[in-house]
Amino acid sequence: MTHSNIKSNLLTPTNEDTLGPYYPISLCDNDSMDLTKIRSGIINEPKGEKIIINGCVKDINGELANGCLLEFWQTNSDGIYRTPDNETHPDLDPWFIGYARNRTPDGNFTLTTIKPGINEELNAKRAPNITLTIFSDGIMRVVTQLFFEDESSNENDPLLRSVPEELRSRLMIKNDGQNEEGIKTYKIEIIMAGEKETPFFDDFAS
Amino acid sequence: MTQYGRTIEIGPTDNTSNERTPRHPLHLIPDSARASFAPYAPYNYGINPGEADMTRLAAGRPRADGDPIKVTGTITDQFGRPIRNSLVEIWNANKHGRYTHIEDQSGLPLDPNFLGIGRTISDENGNYEFWSIRPGEYLARPDIGRWRPKHIHMSIRGGSSRLITQMYFNGDPHNDADPMRILMGDNFDKNIGKEYDTPGKEFDCGYQFDIVIGGKNPTFFENDIA
Ligand SMILES: [Fe+3]
Repeated sequence: MTHSNIKSNLLTPTNEDTLGPYYPISLCDNDSMDLTKIRSGIINEPKGEKIIINGCVKDINGELANGCLLEFWQTNSDGIYRTPDNETHPDLDPWFIGYARNRTPDGNFTLTTIKPGINEELNAKRAPNITLTIFSDGIMRVVTQLFFEDESSNENDPLLRSVPEELRSRLMIKNDGQNEEGIKTYKIEIIMAGEKETPFFDDFAS
Repeated sequence: MTQYGRTIEIGPTDNTSNERTPRHPLHLIPDSARASFAPYAPYNYGINPGEADMTRLAAGRPRADGDPIKVTGTITDQFGRPIRNSLVEIWNANKHGRYTHIEDQSGLPLDPNFLGIGRTISDENGNYEFWSIRPGEYLARPDIGRWRPKHIHMSIRGGSSRLITQMYFNGDPHNDADPMRILMGDNFDKNIGKEYDTPGKEFDCGYQFDIVIGGKNPTFFENDIA
């Protein structure tokens, strides 16, 4: 069977559509923006360095993009994603999920998590990163991946290398000191459109 | 060397689309980074009985105003393989076109018996069903008189979290001018619920809305989660 035969048998996907302005806030009740707590009231914590990322999503005019639904996805501190393929991996952290979801009323968000790691065996070249999917009124889903500035592993990351050099800094989560408890804080600005637009990726065509 | 994929189009007459649509073509993802783009949402659903019946606030409560409808369908990937145990989140306006959402300031009538938010989970064969009230259209752009046609919002989540879509209704006079419908072109058919009769049933009619999740992201659904 040729490749084109396979293609012609594929079903046509349902069109994605915009989120609209009224995604029910309560549907996020069971989702958390604190990935260091697998459930509320549990003392166990994931391995790794706890960090806080303060960010925002802005539109073409530099205004905060209200009402976006944000999804974050990352590895644990050993670079392992919590996927079915990795269920029995010895470095899968039972106290870390790596998936966070939030509807931001005003365009700002705060993600408390642990710094994602690198796994030499599974994918030595990937630098620590966080995948961010944005659903919003007016657009279909867009997806990007955020990295940490000052990580030497960024140099070899295949995704970063595939982005023109002058755009790479737009994918960098920047150091922003620490909070009163001594937890390292970071900041990131996502620009959805315009001159300083954040690079987004095509997960349909690639 | 091509580095770029699609360019996302701006929905005509949609201000938010203009403000938020990336202008730069999307960047292609190198193979070695591809797998990291498919999140695997945890199973924390905890659905309560009755959440799939949006026509009442709870069993035994009065039915909301408007036409009760049933929506059924199968969720598959592009190979036709069923997507099981997938969380389907549903939200729609009441018969007057008003959402219960705190940010809906339209002033249209609320219905004391309608929440407009539901959830269900696809079964072993990828089938799902829910009941709702046929939503009303609403004026999205009062300044230019553009309406949103009747539609039901749906989010398909589980395994991977890859689809937010809307089911539209055949023949709605506002369909043709809808910005996202215009962008969908001929493929808009995929987003119309196919009406079927439900003789003798307590709902007005049924709509078959089969959902195909495209792209490479649904692969995790192939694993059976015990
Ligand atoms: Fe809507």
